[in-house]
Amino acid sequence: MQGGLLKSITDRTHVGLVLAMFALTAFGTLMVWSATSGMSQHDAMFKKHLVGLALGLLPLVGLWLIDYQKLKAWTGPLMIALALLILSPRIPGLGATAKGATSWLEVFGQRLFQPSEPAKLLFIVVLAAVIAEFNGRIEEWRDVLKVAGYAAVPVALILLQPDLGTGMVFVAIAAGMLIVGGMRGRYFAVAALVGVLLVGALLALPRPLEQYQKDRLLVFIDPARDPKGAGYNLAQSKIAIGSGGLSGKGLGAGTQSNLNFIPERHTDFIFSVLGEQLGFLGAVTLLGLFLALLAAALSIATSSRDLFGALVAAGLIAMWLFQIVENVGMTVGMMPITGIPLPFMSYGASAMVTNLAGVGMLLSVWSRRYGT
Amino acid sequence: MTTFRQQLKGRFAVLGLIVLVLLGGLMARLWSMQVLSGKSFAAQAEENRIREVSIDSSRGRVLDTKGKPLVTNRPVMAVTVAPSIISREDSAALISRLSTVIDVPVPEILKRLSSYKQERLKPRTVRVDIPMSTVSYLVEHAPEFPDVAVEAAAVREYPYGVLGAHVLGYTGEISEEQLKKEKLPDFRLGDIVGKAGVESEYDKVLQGEKGYRRYEVDSKGRIRRIVAEGDPRAGKDIVLTIDADVQKVAEKALADALAEAHSQGYKNARAGSAVVLDVKTGAVIAMASAPTYDPTKFLGGIRDEDWKALTAKDSEYPLNNRAIMAAYPPASTFKAVTGTAGLQYKVTGAWTSFNCPGRWEGMGKQWAKWCWNHSGHGNVTFTQGIEKSCDTVFYEIGKTFYDRKNEELQAFSRSMGLGAESGIDLPGEVSGRVPDAAWKKAYNKFYPEYQQWLPGDTVNMAIGQGDLLVTPLQLTSIYAALGNGGKVMKPHVLKAVLGSDGQPTKEIAPEVSHDPGVTANNLAIMKRALVDVTTSGTGASVFSGFRISVAGKTGTAQVTNKDDFAWFACYAPAEQPRYAVVVVVEQGGHGGSVAGPAARQILSKLFNVPYRPIHTVDVSR
Repeated sequence: MQGGLLKSITDRTHVGLVLAMFALTAFGTLMVWSATSGMSQHDAMFKKHLVGLALGLLPLVGLWLIDYQKLKAWTGPLMIALALLILSPRIPGLGATAKGATSWLEVFGQRLFQPSEPAKLLFIVVLAAVIAEFNGRIEEWRDVLKVAGYAAVPVALILLQPDLGTGMVFVAIAAGMLIVGGMRGRYFAVAALVGVLLVGALLALPRPLEQYQKDRLLVFIDPARDPKGAGYNLAQSKIAIGSGGLSGKGLGAGTQSNLNFIPERHTDFIFSVLGEQLGFLGAVTLLGLFLALLAAALSIATSSRDLFGALVAAGLIAMWLFQIVENVGMTVGMMPITGIPLPFMSYGASAMVTNLAGVGMLLSVWSRRYGT
Repeated sequence: MTTFRQQLKGRFAVLGLIVLVLLGGLMARLWSMQVLSGKSFAAQAEENRIREVSIDSSRGRVLDTKGKPLVTNRPVMAVTVAPSIISREDSAALISRLSTVIDVPVPEILKRLSSYKQERLKPRTVRVDIPMSTVSYLVEHAPEFPDVAVEAAAVREYPYGVLGAHVLGYTGEISEEQLKKEKLPDFRLGDIVGKAGVESEYDKVLQGEKGYRRYEVDSKGRIRRIVAEGDPRAGKDIVLTIDADVQKVAEKALADALAEAHSQGYKNARAGSAVVLDVKTGAVIAMASAPTYDPTKFLGGIRDEDWKALTAKDSEYPLNNRAIMAAYPPASTFKAVTGTAGLQYKVTGAWTSFNCPGRWEGMGKQWAKWCWNHSGHGNVTFTQGIEKSCDTVFYEIGKTFYDRKNEELQAFSRSMGLGAESGIDLPGEVSGRVPDAAWKKAYNKFYPEYQQWLPGDTVNMAIGQGDLLVTPLQLTSIYAALGNGGKVMKPHVLKAVLGSDGQPTKEIAPEVSHDPGVTANNLAIMKRALVDVTTSGTGASVFSGFRISVAGKTGTAQVTNKDDFAWFACYAPAEQPRYAVVVVVEQGGHGGSVAGPAARQILSKLFNVPYRPIHTVDVSR
């Protein structure tokens, strides 16, 4: 039986995905160590990062073992849980806000986690269940509006927090899943138009976006508008990455990183540290690992036994891809600055646990790819 | 389920394509930033983290010809303020308290802190040379004065006080206009530079090279460590041709001459100049200008009230070095030039006879002119014309030059260096003026009736009046040339530049600037005539009993709306000339009674002859 168990385990393991995950978490751990070195709480922070990794193994293994199809039956309660998660920072006695944007769940003054992170996974599951109902054909206006309605509620809730970054992730997830879910091309065009109009309206209206969020968006359009304010972070990040050159200044050796020129260098701007210290070669290595991760997820999606599993995988691909493009893009000035962490790299346990849980869900889909 | 998978294949392909395009886009961007523009970003990163602070070098000394220090450096305590004081919450109160303690007005402190755009880390000097009591107060209360420091500094010291102030010049902070205009890459606002005299002329030599210290700073501008250092290189000492002892006497003689003018009733006499040249080399032995100023007033920045006093309209402009910046009509001292020209062009000979009836009508009755001696000199030779300073003789010579229509008098004057800068190594020299027909036409551009060059113009020029203007230095150079075989030497004040071992690294060689080609015979005629001036002529009473033979000439210039300017110009000893001396006193009266005695006083020092004050009255012009 031992051979059988081993065969069973290898059969249920997507080697590419697991290797990519290990490589990424190892790379991330290295960069977190480098970025936090020189900070006063370096040891404590690094320890917290390792704890986050360990904690993430629980949902990873748990979700791997659970048949993902059973989640479909829980759509209703999961929707309620999703709404509660999004709203929880606003519930008196439970929430706390840091830097205006990042919302925390806090109990008795003890910070637990950022609910917006696991909310992404719940959103994927709930939306996958909704879209799967249409059997891969979303061709009628009625259907489009129905799906849009399910998707719009959590997006609206998260935007009202206000959490622009996570809101954008939700939109990206929905887009990715709708491609696989069979929405017609022309509806994407309409959605894009509506999106542009919405962004314009958000910038023009006094609420719900805070001025600093508008500034970030506007600075992206015109970085010279405020070189020492919101544009300063972007300029310093670009200098860090650009000055890394082909092979970088060496791990732990960047002046932009070590002399505090890069803001939030262990979280949102960890890619700037990587770019400075490891150069173009290091950055391309990371993008290669991300490509391996997304390719593995795609291969799992294509071999899913049902549409629901394929949609969940597509949602995760869209989530990761968007976060990678947005995060790396903002550090090189291609995207506006929002507080979105780089998957598996940025310091922060909430995101790490969420991403590992996502891997668990993919493994669950892979494990159950046979059968009817 | 195969159908369902087939249906999804295209959609997954779209998803995969999006992944590839987006990651490819990021990679292209990274390639462009890191590989293509990496160098430019690396330079920006360096600029981010490195701050350079310059270290001033010590300024070279200025020595007199015998090695006596004229300008040195004195260690003092200075108060500096770091620009970061501005960003303190209590900066206003802090600066106002500091202002009281160091006795510098608040706006003055703020000006020094704000006007500099460079070197954010470098503390600004707000006051130099503070008294010990202030030093100890600031040191005791140091915690109450953050960003304020008491530091050792060096300021210029003048062991002889105001002696030679016009030659030496003064130092001060480089001005914003100067930086902009001259595009000096090595200088920054707040740097001390020479502003006048040799301090300015030889600033590059005296300045030395600045040292530097490069700091690594973090994003808040806090210093992390020193990255690199370079020691400053001290400026070089320079040796001047000026002899402090002679300079002292020249300045004293000028002051005495002003006092003498007052005692003779010339109450407006307030300014003048005296110049001593080595006739063989053009070396300036002494150069005095009155009124003078105190260069220590400029140390640590001159105060507004002092600057106003030095530049006020009724101040006679003490900062001007009249020896090179003022141009006057040379009056009768110019007769030596007209006379030499007359001999050279054979307009006259040594024994040519002239008749002076007192009133000269050589240009017609309606244009009659008077000799200063209205009763006339009678029959006089050319030589006697010089001796007695007879105007009629030179009216005749001038008239002849006019009739020849060749502007030969002007040409000769220019060939002796008039109408052009002498090229002395001091800033601010003026060129004076040799008037001619072309000049007159241009000068009276808008007054056509005054454009024509008339006989009277040449006649006036012949006696050193009219539109002719010379600087005291130019006239000294001409008398030096008369004693130097006719060769005009380029005047200079620098003798040598010293290396760090005190040995000369560069010495100035004598240079002929003009050679009008006067014959030895004509020079001898002129010398005899000029010696006659001091033995039996207009300068005889000044030089009675003087044992050195002096070839000189008095002059009394008429200036519109002013009292007469007194001149004396000479070289000595007449037989083997060594020095040329010129003294001019603005509104001092007659040359023989005011400028001559001053020249004798200077000559006494030059030849170590006992000096006694001379009081005499000369009525000639």
